[in-house]
Amino acid sequence: MPVHNLYIFNRYGTLLYYTEWNRLKHSGITLEEEAKLMYGMLFSIKSFVAKISPLDIKKGFLCYKTNKYTLNYFETPTGLKFILNTDVGAQNVRDLLQQMYSQVYIEYVVKNPIINLNEPIKSELFKQKLDTFIKQYPVFNNNLKSL
Amino acid sequence: MGAVEVLLEFMHSELVDYVTESSKKGDLSTLEYAGFISGYRIIERLTKDWPRFKDELETLKFICTDFWTSIYKKQIDNLRTNHQGVYVLQDNAFRFLSRISSGSQYLEMAPKYVSFTCGLLRGALANLGINCLVTAEIQPMPTCKFHIQVQQKTV
Repeated sequence: MPVHNLYIFNRYGTLLYYTEWNRLKHSGITLEEEAKLMYGMLFSIKSFVAKISPLDIKKGFLCYKTNKYTLNYFETPTGLKFILNTDVGAQNVRDLLQQMYSQVYIEYVVKNPIINLNEPIKSELFKQKLDTFIKQYPVFNNNLKSL
Repeated sequence: MGAVEVLLEFMHSELVDYVTESSKKGDLSTLEYAGFISGYRIIERLTKDWPRFKDELETLKFICTDFWTSIYKKQIDNLRTNHQGVYVLQDNAFRFLSRISSGSQYLEMAPKYVSFTCGLLRGALANLGINCLVTAEIQPMPTCKFHIQVQQKTV
């Protein structure tokens, strides 16, 4: 299945949320360490991309691909970072991330007064809404196209 | 939902935070009182183009439809009464709870987020000439039942 896992980081690099749907290979380190590595790598890529660019950058770093998976990166003006790993064939993942931010994160995290915005999200409702959101998206089930 | 509507939610949750932080634990009367005053005033404005209500039930129906819609953008889902001064107003997706949980997670926090509304109901009814007690019952979220017990008029 095309959607592997999702990381949400805040501006300061704290891992707010992690979930996985179809992750076949695990890193063998703790999630905490993995998140630090992930954030560090993204931080480096971001500054590298900005320095190496021959033109003015507008959106900056968007994604990278290996031959097995794509890492999709979406950053909001407030510095929230959504990282979704999908199959290489998955399409419109940017729209998906944008919508996930506005329809799930804003609605069920920002508007939930109990959640502290700089701490990991423990809300069951958010988890549940995120799951239904991802599963209704064609990317999730549509694995014939990507094969 | 536009930013203006979200403003009510954010203001409300800050009010809840402020009141519960500054008072001793579990004391929600300040919050209820703020609701009462708001309700008392807002009903004056909402009913300005209305004729007088026929009876108590008519008044409660107004509360469930127009009053609720203008504040919470939806109607009360169910109104029940025993015709002896007890009314139960059920909202299946109460706006201040709908983003918090859809089950029993955070249930212990829920009372803080309904007491303003209890006061709001009490204030609105008080200005319409109905003195009552309003309590809320939450189980499970985001369903909320408001119990209204009308005080017998002293003869």
